[in-house]
Amino acid sequence: MRSLELALTVYASLTRHLVRSLLATLGIVLGIAAVVAMLAIGEGGRQEALRQIESQGVDNIILRSVKPTEGIVQQSSRSFTQRYGITQGDVDHVQGVFQNVRLIVPVMDVRRDIYQGQQTTDIKAVATIPAFLEVTRCRLVDRRSRFLTPTDGQVLDPVCVVGVKAARRLFGHLDPLGRNVVIGNVSFRVVGLFESPGGGRLGGQYELNNTVVMPLETARSLWGGITMRMGRGVAEQVDYDFLYVSARDVDAIPGTAGRLRTYLRAAHTQADYEVLVPYELMQSARKTRRIFTIVMTSIAAISLLVGGIGIMNIMLANIFERTREIGVRRALGARKRDILWQFLAESVLLTSIGGALGAGLGIGTSAAAEWFSKMGGDSGITAVVTPESLVVALAVSVATGITFGTHPAWKAAQLDPLTALRHE
Amino acid sequence: METPATQDPARPLIELNALEKTYQAGGVLIHALRPTDLVIRRGTFVTVMGPSGSGKSTLLNLFGLLMRPTSGSYRLDGREVSRLDDDATSAVRCRLIGMVFQSFNLLSHLTILENVCVPMQYAGLSRGAMRQRGRDLLDQFGLAGRYGSRPTQLSGGQCQRVAIARSLANDPPVILADEPTGNLDERTGQEVMQIFQGLHAAGKTIIMVTHNPVYRKFATQMVTIHDGRATEE
Repeated sequence: MRSLELALTVYASLTRHLVRSLLATLGIVLGIAAVVAMLAIGEGGRQEALRQIESQGVDNIILRSVKPTEGIVQQSSRSFTQRYGITQGDVDHVQGVFQNVRLIVPVMDVRRDIYQGQQTTDIKAVATIPAFLEVTRCRLVDRRSRFLTPTDGQVLDPVCVVGVKAARRLFGHLDPLGRNVVIGNVSFRVVGLFESPGGGRLGGQYELNNTVVMPLETARSLWGGITMRMGRGVAEQVDYDFLYVSARDVDAIPGTAGRLRTYLRAAHTQADYEVLVPYELMQSARKTRRIFTIVMTSIAAISLLVGGIGIMNIMLANIFERTREIGVRRALGARKRDILWQFLAESVLLTSIGGALGAGLGIGTSAAAEWFSKMGGDSGITAVVTPESLVVALAVSVATGITFGTHPAWKAAQLDPLTALRHE
Repeated sequence: METPATQDPARPLIELNALEKTYQAGGVLIHALRPTDLVIRRGTFVTVMGPSGSGKSTLLNLFGLLMRPTSGSYRLDGREVSRLDDDATSAVRCRLIGMVFQSFNLLSHLTILENVCVPMQYAGLSRGAMRQRGRDLLDQFGLAGRYGSRPTQLSGGQCQRVAIARSLANDPPVILADEPTGNLDERTGQEVMQIFQGLHAAGKTIIMVTHNPVYRKFATQMVTIHDGRATEE
């Protein structure tokens, strides 16, 4: 039988009991839909995680000061100072000892409010050095913009560079360049606008685009080392909140990170720091993805097993019901293999239709999940349907049709023509 | 290499030589067809008669290769066909034998044109050629314009005419008919018999199982079966 005739014969057979045919595919539809939706959500999560990690810079090692639960040092009967985190000594040590380090960029959270009019905002003010722009993968936005220069620090200029989101919030549609930002009680002149294209976070915490950056020396001259009073008689002193250590190349990261950890364990008596290595996070994300893939495959396998058994049942019922038709076809010249192909093609068409419907439902479900998760806010899950996942879904549908359709089709082909003709 | 009978009109179309069919039922050996010798020449109208259970259908099923004989030889169109494999048997059924059943055996989910095309699908004809031939056959049997009808929309006589058209799809030399008028009223039965008479006149070999002695008048060769023993009258 020619392929076109086979296709038309199969189509005619399936449309004969359209509702039953569609119901038969339900297991496959739901199975494939679940797989496509979960793959889309998983892929979205993976891409988001990778984007976040990459936005930290894969060649960076980021040290973060962490407030310890212990370590309050009593200075007098009436005041306490808690000193913790990354110190200037740490910076000096890394600069002096570590060979494979290209840049070292300390960042200090100035812990001062930024005002918009009379209102405080959640915009973060940090103090750092000019290489900050490079290690955080940020870029200047306006041609007139400039970043901090060594001179700014030397002359203790009250200048700052503003992230794009912070600029929008502070100045709306006005040109921010040349305007002033009040940080604490000091007015800073905006000399540049920058953005983090990946929406990166400073040390994995503060949204870079919602940050105002000033020269480290200026901040020190204004507010000194004690950065925040925590209440009556209690203060905390942190030299640096973050330290970006940028390696010469990615291969040097594991060794450098290991040596840094060894050094910090020895130099810090309390757990007042954290080491973030985006490269390690990436490796970990890849491992997580492998686990996710295994879990997804298992779920898909179970769903498709159930769907496939449903298809096999329907096909067996179909064959029983159409035994006489098989007898007639055999009497009119059909070979065993014609019957086998006909029923196998029916099974594959059923599962392929199920797969296509399932893929559509999966895309819809993942889009709906994304929409619901983002209701009322801009954060939420992101679903990414890749062409590969659709191809895999359809290939799996076809494979299910073949796997579960072969036995019924073989059984149909083996029917004795005369017995089949006499079947009532 | 054997010369096909189609090129040698003198050669018999069908030759049975000690063809026998037995089977076991409850430990008893049943002789469905005792060793039978029979020669049917091209263009013959054969009626096979006999009481119920005598072996008429067994003989017809053996002719139609729907059943394998226990022993003996069956030559069709000059070729031994009783021991062919499935593919070859199907090819013979497809190209050399047309079958007409008492209960029509049309596929109800197909149109009558599609039903007529079924044997041609297995002969590998192109879609266009198939449909053209199908339409011509239906026209020939008075079903012009009904191509899209389903069998359930037709009368018994019309269904049998579709079945006859289907049996002629691949232009086989022999038509096997199993009680083709059994489900029809007398007048419609007569019409169907006239169709077979016409096919016979056109050179087809007809082998028809029937209970109705009236149809003997159409036969040029008569076979009677009693208790599995076939005799030629």
